[in-house]
Amino acid sequence: MFKKVLIANRGEIALRINRACRELGVKTVAIFSEPDRESLHVRHANEAFCVGPGPAARSYLSIPNIISTALITHCDAVHPGYGFLAENARFAQICADHGLAFIGPPAEVIAMMGDKATAKRVMREAKVETTPGTDILESVDKARRAARDLGYPVLLKATAGGGGKGMRVVAGPDELERAFNSAQNEAEASFKDGRLYMEKLIVSPRHIEVQVLGDNFGNIVLLGERDCSVQKPSHQKLIEEAPAANLSDKVRQSLLAMALRASQAVHYSNAGTLEFLVSGDRVYFMEMNTRIQVEHPVTEMVYNIDLVKEQIRIAAGEPLGYTQADLKPRGHAIECRINAEDARNNFAPAAGTVTNVVFPGGPGIRVDTHIYSGATVPPYYDSLLAKIVAFGETREAAIARMERALRETIIEGVNTTIAQCLEVLATDAFIKGRYTIDFLPALMRRDDAA
Amino acid sequence: MPGNNVVERVRALVQTFLETDLVRLRIERDGGHVELRRRASSRLATAETAEPQMQAPPVENLDEIKSDLVGIFRFSRPAPIVGELLDSDRELAYVEALGIRNPVRSLGSGRLVSVCCDDGQPVEYGQTLFEVARV
Repeated sequence: MFKKVLIANRGEIALRINRACRELGVKTVAIFSEPDRESLHVRHANEAFCVGPGPAARSYLSIPNIISTALITHCDAVHPGYGFLAENARFAQICADHGLAFIGPPAEVIAMMGDKATAKRVMREAKVETTPGTDILESVDKARRAARDLGYPVLLKATAGGGGKGMRVVAGPDELERAFNSAQNEAEASFKDGRLYMEKLIVSPRHIEVQVLGDNFGNIVLLGERDCSVQKPSHQKLIEEAPAANLSDKVRQSLLAMALRASQAVHYSNAGTLEFLVSGDRVYFMEMNTRIQVEHPVTEMVYNIDLVKEQIRIAAGEPLGYTQADLKPRGHAIECRINAEDARNNFAPAAGTVTNVVFPGGPGIRVDTHIYSGATVPPYYDSLLAKIVAFGETREAAIARMERALRETIIEGVNTTIAQCLEVLATDAFIKGRYTIDFLPALMRRDDAA
Repeated sequence: MPGNNVVERVRALVQTFLETDLVRLRIERDGGHVELRRRASSRLATAETAEPQMQAPPVENLDEIKSDLVGIFRFSRPAPIVGELLDSDRELAYVEALGIRNPVRSLGSGRLVSVCCDDGQPVEYGQTLFEVARV
């Protein structure tokens, strides 16, 4: 097992990784930007180093400062969390070059899956069905020709993307140039890689993903699916649940079979997620995220497995301690993302100071958060404040518990998404488990009209 | 006893060293050597004792030279001495990161008021390395 791990992230996921390390008896080194100096992950780590100013490009994306921190503190591994450098193959390779274990898959797998256009080509070769689409589009002109061939509506996506960043729906040719430029700029700012590709837009699909764990000995297990269809217009997820409601056995088996084929095709190791679009009985591979996901707690709740500890054990060279047959899900889990956002203003990020905070508790409730009364929310980063996760023996019980937990939650000083989560939970579509990725944008439009 | 003699001589050397502003003293003789180095904090204390008037002006003219990267702090040679006047582009130290020596310069002339790090100390981004009274 590792002796000391550098946590190359911030916020709740840095704290989550710190907890896993501590429970495994592994020391931790936190990194932070100047505005994050008072952050909880800094306080709880064994050591902490400031790596730059507020803008992520000069701090949480500063590979030289992060690697230097790991070396001078004698770390033997780096956990990248999600976002920032988590899917940066060059960073993973630099870690390896400096004798640091990267807690994730090998750099070449990250590169293959991180380049979404390449990933789709690899998946097609592995007989995994993908949405019709293109390779990298070098210019607006090429995008225009591709869109004509695919037929509008189309989706522009960042090849280095994730989390909805650098993604735009284009309904017709008039919108293409503006969408291309804004997606490119957003991708460049978020991932230092502005390359885009295009997909045929599957109208009103469900976004369902499959959790994978693979060790370094060729063993791969699947930890079921998560339904992440409650998404903002920016395609960022707001509510996730496991398992997916109203999923036929046929579609579930198709999803799991494709996920296994895909993982085997790239000899996957560590934790990863295969994202699919489900439309009727059709299942299309969308992308593979070669990292821990924000929404991993819902899988942990129904499988009673600590995915972050598993990541660390796998990277340390330990084999999986179980087989697929040993894995039996139980109950239902729902996660609500509590973001510092103004939902009435198209979920615009709302930086500020959290003046008062009270989180819920009681049976079946888990809260992953880094905020506290007096914590500041810097304007530079993702607006996630907390993830509230409710577990129940049934989906109905989980919804009731989540509603109760959200009503117990108090966060003052910044706008949050608590009210929107409660609104979603109360809808007939969510209660019946019949919703697609168009559900939340439609709900918002209805609210705006009212 | 020869052993006691050596201890006495080193003790005398240390006493003499402490009475000066020297940062490092190395004496080689007969294939052996003795090296004395002063820690940054003790250098600051010496400056306060020797030139207490230096503490007065920093309020207006004190400038902090900070690290702009993470690495190991090392003095350049000759090591800067508290109280000395610095040239405008004097290399005071370097921060070693990923095997590269990144020089830390005086960034303008002035009098060195304090040294805030020890040789060999890990430093983070934004950490104050030196304080300089600009003149």
